Amino acid sequence: MILTRTWLDIFIDLKKVSNEKLYETLNSIGLEVDNIKEYTIPPKVVVGKILSCEKHPDADKLNICQIDIGSGIRQIVCGAKNVVDAEYVAVATVGAKLGEDFEIKHAKLRGVDSEGMVCSASELGLPDIGDGIMILDESIGELIVGRELNEYKKLADTVIEIELTANRGDCLSIHGVARDLSASLKIPLNRFDYESQNPEKIGLARVSKLIVKGKIDASVQYALANMEELYTSLLFSLRLAFIDELQSDALKNTLKYITHTTGVILRAYDVGHIKLEEDEKLTIKLENNRGIVDVIINDKLYSKLGITHVQEIEATEKSSRVLFETSYMNPTILTNLVAENRLETDELFYNTSRGSEPNLCFGINYLTYLLESYTKSKLFEGNISLDEEREDKIVTVCTTEVCQLIGNDIPKINIMTILTDLRFKVQSTADDKFGVTIPNYRHDIENIQDITEEIVRMIGINNIEAKPLEFKESQRINSTMERYYAKKSLRSRAVGAGFDESISYAFSDKLLLAKYNFPLIDEKLDIINPITSDFNTLRTTLLINLIQAVERNINYSKKRVALFEIGTIFDNNRKEREVLSLIYSGQSETEYVGNAGKPKPITFDIFVKKLSAIIGNFELRASTKDNLLINPYQSADIIINNEVSGFITKVHPNVCEDFNLFDTFVAEIDFEALSPKHINAHTISKFQGVYKDLSLVVDKHLPYSHISNTIQLLDLPLLSNFYAVDVYEDKELGEEKSLTIRLFIQSLEDTLNDKDIDYTVNTILEKLHNEYGAKLR
Amino acid sequence: MKNLEEQIRDASSLDALSRVRIELFGKKGALSKEFAKLKDVPGPEKKAFAEGLNRQKAHLQDVYDTCYETLKKEEIERLLKAQAIDVSLYSNLNEKGALHPVMTTMDKIIDYFVALNFSIEDGPKVEDDFHNFEALNLPKNHPARDMQDTFFFRDKAVLRTHTSPVQIRTMLAQKPPIRMIAPGAVFRKDYDITHTPMFHQVEGLVVGETGEVSFANLKSIMSDFLHYMFGEVEVRFRPSFFPFTEPSAEVDISCIFCKAEGCRVCSHTGWLEVLGCGIVDQNVFDAVNYKDVSGYAFGLGVERFAMLLHKIPDLRMLFEGDTRLLEQFR
Repeated sequence: MILTRTWLDIFIDLKKVSNEKLYETLNSIGLEVDNIKEYTIPPKVVVGKILSCEKHPDADKLNICQIDIGSGIRQIVCGAKNVVDAEYVAVATVGAKLGEDFEIKHAKLRGVDSEGMVCSASELGLPDIGDGIMILDESIGELIVGRELNEYKKLADTVIEIELTANRGDCLSIHGVARDLSASLKIPLNRFDYESQNPEKIGLARVSKLIVKGKIDASVQYALANMEELYTSLLFSLRLAFIDELQSDALKNTLKYITHTTGVILRAYDVGHIKLEEDEKLTIKLENNRGIVDVIINDKLYSKLGITHVQEIEATEKSSRVLFETSYMNPTILTNLVAENRLETDELFYNTSRGSEPNLCFGINYLTYLLESYTKSKLFEGNISLDEEREDKIVTVCTTEVCQLIGNDIPKINIMTILTDLRFKVQSTADDKFGVTIPNYRHDIENIQDITEEIVRMIGINNIEAKPLEFKESQRINSTMERYYAKKSLRSRAVGAGFDESISYAFSDKLLLAKYNFPLIDEKLDIINPITSDFNTLRTTLLINLIQAVERNINYSKKRVALFEIGTIFDNNRKEREVLSLIYSGQSETEYVGNAGKPKPITFDIFVKKLSAIIGNFELRASTKDNLLINPYQSADIIINNEVSGFITKVHPNVCEDFNLFDTFVAEIDFEALSPKHINAHTISKFQGVYKDLSLVVDKHLPYSHISNTIQLLDLPLLSNFYAVDVYEDKELGEEKSLTIRLFIQSLEDTLNDKDIDYTVNTILEKLHNEYGAKLR
Repeated sequence: MKNLEEQIRDASSLDALSRVRIELFGKKGALSKEFAKLKDVPGPEKKAFAEGLNRQKAHLQDVYDTCYETLKKEEIERLLKAQAIDVSLYSNLNEKGALHPVMTTMDKIIDYFVALNFSIEDGPKVEDDFHNFEALNLPKNHPARDMQDTFFFRDKAVLRTHTSPVQIRTMLAQKPPIRMIAPGAVFRKDYDITHTPMFHQVEGLVVGETGEVSFANLKSIMSDFLHYMFGEVEVRFRPSFFPFTEPSAEVDISCIFCKAEGCRVCSHTGWLEVLGCGIVDQNVFDAVNYKDVSGYAFGLGVERFAMLLHKIPDLRMLFEGDTRLLEQFR
């Protein structure tokens, strides 16, 4: 909603209110000021009167004007076509500065002296109101030759844009905003009243009739006029340009101007072409069509009330006879009708759906006033109308409840005064309760909380004393909080291991997910209105997003990119699950003197170590995943607590090629598997242990995990720990490899003796020999 | 003998000194040879001779010890010197990653409310119409639904447009009193310089008995919270509208970029809008069947806070894993 100071002046006298006070008040009553523009017209730009205008002898497009600027007559050469139609114009006299480095000086244009410039609106910093120079008229005030233009406050106006919340349809007009300001500033609201001074001799009822079919939940009022000499004055042009609604058609401008000023919905139909027999009347039929009100004029559908109208019969400035229609319909009824019937709407629906002004007479009177004051149009006497029967809305106000909601004590009398200022009618009063009738334009007021908001608005939230809440203690640590802290520490560790935290959209590209064989959201459950094709489904992995992020970083010449994200992914049934995903691409460490500026690329070994530094111990087993990031020779399932909890892989070279990646490793792990587990300490042995290395020769393709599993299952009491420390293959070993396992043998009860040690070692050897044919090297 | 002392003093390394030691003090060394002469010295002079020798031996030992100390020191010094490195070459190795500024901002917000004994609650990202709209006093066809461009699924589910459905889920699952925040990702169908289809909110809800929780309480905590986040700023409340609260307010802080003088960031108003809040609408309590309660709720956008706190110029960069931005937070 855009308004200007002088526009507000129609309804409220703001002379004693500074701009600052005005902004502050608007903000404090909930009409948020979004933008302010205070227009000023530079000094030495004055009203000029064109005395004569002749063609330049040497230039077709230039005119030589003699212009009275009050202090004398100046010769000014002007290039605008419309100067020939102009009488009063804005003249920038010699010395006027129209910009940083644009000062008006004596000039010679094709040999003719020119002392000044005739200005267009945009040259004066005002919005563009059309081609050519700005022709002044008395709509901005009495034109006095030589008067500084900046003194015309309707030109040098202050334009304020307010951000209206969806509930305040009543402030979608200048009058509505003035009404709210009047309550807050305690300045009376000027009632606008006007009666036709010079109507057509014939009454409207003589030439038209209204027929109503069915129950109509709406109010309408019609007026008929013979149009003549309609034009858009300078003031209207400017104001409509301020609100970005200026059109070339004078009638459309008038309609827009009235609706913006009064809030009343106004449409105009061209009825000049309807040929009426003598004594035949213009017949307007309102018909209830499943709740929608159809307006049918002489058997032709003209509009659906409050929703849309037929474009072809729209009146224009060329129309000779125009039927004006003001209407009001309850916004809730209207929006439901539109949604249920999926109706197309026109631009006025924004206003009608938020609640337009129900006082239709106001709109008709304002129209009459404008047509009679600024044109030679004549209205038919009287009007025809239908008033909807509406019950007054009454809300009971309990002072105690209002005070409790606000948390401060506010005397009943203050509450009553505020509501009266806001034009609520205080009905009856008893104890701390009283009833109020809600003004019919306040659709948003339904209950005591709405009333409380009005009180809060008018008192000003900043005047409400803040009070800390006293509450009874109880601890509120729950699983969500524990999860949050687990996530937080995981994030710190990932950062410690050199990964940057990334956030990506929860969306993905269906084609990409399919291409790399990741699950897809079931067709029946997918998004119907994606924002772009890159984000046309929910992600079922974070890795595609991370790969794309790495690709972008590599484009920014990064040689090492390590990212992680903890986020939600979805399965094909759209079930949500949180995962930790990591990606590492390029150099394994910083370029520095230690590696002569040539760090080795990241390897499986280094990536796994980094992962281990973040999530602790995990076991790796040959991968069972089938997505196409997987490199079959360097990939694994991640086993935590004996469960497959994720996977790790060197990214397949095909994928690296698709995204221009360096050597890249990724891992994706269920967050659930990473939440901290409760741990019980076990007894620590007081006795010395021994290390024993077993160098075995086994089949080259036998995974270590098979061996370790077998050893684990032996459940040897003295075997406190074991791990692989060396793998060796060469030609001589052929299809076999040498694998060295380090055992740590320790007893909880005794100092070890050789017998015990041998027993442990031999049991392992024997088992491995029997299972896998392993022999000592 | 003088000659012996010079030999010690002439030794230029520990090795050389060690050879001199053997030559002097060894079994076949010079001193042993001198002591061997003792047996040829006539009786009465023996004592004096022996004393003289012992004095000399002690003197030589002193000289030796001193030389040894000096040479040892030099030796260590040389060894250390050989290991000398230019430590400054190892500055800023960049081996630590960075937490995302949006996430650290969220952490900071959570810390505040957890310290005030708020619980953390969560809910699904894919929501139904009831939790995301209906229960929050956003009936079908309500114009306020336009405020939130929604992603819809084929089965009529939606991606949550705010964290407010977590309020509903928490109230349905728990009894009052309630004191909770719900941090998390939310989704709106909007994509331009100042909007991303996903962003993060922190929602808060406090519910107590009727008359217990008031607008004055809300004002108090919001002011305190904003001072915790932004330091010395002015806080301003403006009436506003949200379907799920009534009365509602938007809260501004004085512009932290221009000290409220007016700049591009604050659109020359001197104020920055940072959060929305209000008294929970009775219709919301009705939807979860809460009786005789009062409460307040608030919600804020984490990206906005992060951008203000860290002066981050571009919103969309936050979602691109752009290490040119992230590495600044290492």
